[in-house]
Amino acid sequence: MADASIEFKGTSFTLSVLHLKTSTLADIRADLVKKVAQAPDFFYLVPVVVSIEQLDCSVDYQAVKTLIEEFNFTFVGFTGSVDKEQRKLIRELGFSFVNTTRVDTSKKAAIAEEALATETKVTPAIPECNLYTDKVHRGQIRSGQQLYAKDQNLVVIGSVSAGAEVIADGNIHVYGSLRGRAIAGAKGHHKAQIYCQNLEAELVSINGNYWLSESMEQHWGSPVYIHLTDSELTSSKLI
Amino acid sequence: MARIIVVTSGKGGVGKTTSSAAIGLGLALKGHKVVLIDFDIGLRNLDLIMGCERRVVYDFVNVINGEATLNQALIKDKRVSSLSILPASQTRDKDALNKENVGKVLEELGKSYDFIVCDSPAGIEAGAMMALYYADEAIVTTNPEVSSVRDSDRILGMLASRSRRAELGLEPIKEHLLLTRYSPKRVEEGEMLSVEDVEDILSIPLLGVIPESQAVLKASNAGEPVILDTESDAGKAYQDVIDRLLGETVDFRFLVAEKKGIFSRMFGG
Repeated sequence: MADASIEFKGTSFTLSVLHLKTSTLADIRADLVKKVAQAPDFFYLVPVVVSIEQLDCSVDYQAVKTLIEEFNFTFVGFTGSVDKEQRKLIRELGFSFVNTTRVDTSKKAAIAEEALATETKVTPAIPECNLYTDKVHRGQIRSGQQLYAKDQNLVVIGSVSAGAEVIADGNIHVYGSLRGRAIAGAKGHHKAQIYCQNLEAELVSINGNYWLSESMEQHWGSPVYIHLTDSELTSSKLI
Repeated sequence: MARIIVVTSGKGGVGKTTSSAAIGLGLALKGHKVVLIDFDIGLRNLDLIMGCERRVVYDFVNVINGEATLNQALIKDKRVSSLSILPASQTRDKDALNKENVGKVLEELGKSYDFIVCDSPAGIEAGAMMALYYADEAIVTTNPEVSSVRDSDRILGMLASRSRRAELGLEPIKEHLLLTRYSPKRVEEGEMLSVEDVEDILSIPLLGVIPESQAVLKASNAGEPVILDTESDAGKAYQDVIDRLLGETVDFRFLVAEKKGIFSRMFGG
C-alpha cells in the first residue's frame, strides 16, 4: 500500500494547564465558577490538562474529571511530576498522564495563570542568557589590550583604559571605569547589555548598534547599564 | 640579588633619562652599589646627563658582542665611587641587543651591584621591550597630560604581558608611578591633569611627584643630575623618591601652588 489511510506524527500543542492547589472539590468548584464567569466563551470546550503537582495528598481523579467537564472544558489528562504509584493509579483509572519538560513549579504556576488570562504561548524555552557563562578578568585592561569573551559574558574586575577594547558575545560587566571600547553581543545578540560603574567610554556597541562618547553625555561619569530597545541604544542609571 | 629597575614611559621626552640619572645617583649617594644602563641604543643620552660623555670608550653593544669586557665598558662616576654607567652605542641600532646576551650581562652585573637601573628608550618596540624584559620593578615616568598618560597605560600593559616575570608566571613587576614636570598652578587653573586624575586612570602606587623646574634643564646641560641640586624643588622631590624606593614613608611635597605673599602681590612679585 503506497498511501496509508492514517499517519501518526508528533506535534506540540499549547494546552491550558489547570493547577490544583487543594484536593477539596468544593473549593475547586467555587474558584472555577469565578474564573469561568470572567470569560465563558473563552473557556468553552478548551482542552485542559490538570496538574496535580502542587497537591500534597491524593485526590479523587474521577471526580476532578467530572467537575472539569461540568464547566464545558475538554478534559485531556493529568500532569505533574508525581511518583510512579500515582501515575500508575491514574493510568489504571483510564486517564492519560501527560509529561511536561518544565520543572520549575513556581514559574510554571505563574506562566499558566498568565496563559489562561491572555492566551500567551507557554512553550518552554531556554532563556538566552543560559547560553553564556562568564569569563572573569581581574585587574585593569590597559590601553592597547584587547579581551574577547567568545560565547561568554565578560566580567572585568577593574577598569578598562582608554584605547583598550573589551568584546563579548554575551554581556559585559565592568566593575570600574569604562574608558575604552565595549562591544557586547558581538555575534548578533540583541539582548546583550553593558554594565559599568563609571561610563567614560570611547565607544559602546550592542549587536552592531553603537554610540560614540558624544552620545553618552546624559549619563557620562555615572554608573549605568546600556541595552537595546527596538534597535536603539538606551542607557539607564544603575543606582 | 640586585634589584633591576626599569625607568620607562612609552612616550618620549617625559623625563626618563633625567629620572634614571637622578635615581641612580641618589641610590649611590645612600651608599648602595648602583649601575646605570642606557638601553637607548643609537640615541645615547644618559652619558651626557651624567657628565661622562668624554669618557666613553666601549659601550653596551661591544659587551653584548664580546668585543669588550664589562669592566672595560663600565664608567665609574667621578662623584660617587659606588656608581657605574654602562653607556649605549651611538652608532648601532636597537636590534643590536638580544634577550639572551642582555640576560647574561644583567646576571653578571647582579653579582656585584645592589641596583641595576635601566634607562629605557621611548616607544613600545624591541628596544623598550628589551629594557623592561628582565625588570623586577618599573618606574613609569608620566607627564600630567593625556597622551603621556595613555602611553604609560600602554607600557603598563606590556609590563604585565611581555616581561620575563609575566612569561614565566612569576610575581608581577612592581609598578611605581613617577609624575614629572608637575605644575600645581596649572593644575589649579585646569590646564593640567592632577595627581588624583593620573592615579585614577593608571591605578598604580605613586612613587613621586617632580615639580616643573628650571633646575632640571640647567642640571642636564651641566651634566650634573638634578638630585645634586639640593636647593631646588626637583632635587628635593627626587630625594624623596629615593627614600620611598628604600622603603621609607615620606609625605608628598610640591603638590599645591605656593601662595604669593601680600608684598609680592602688591608690588607684582
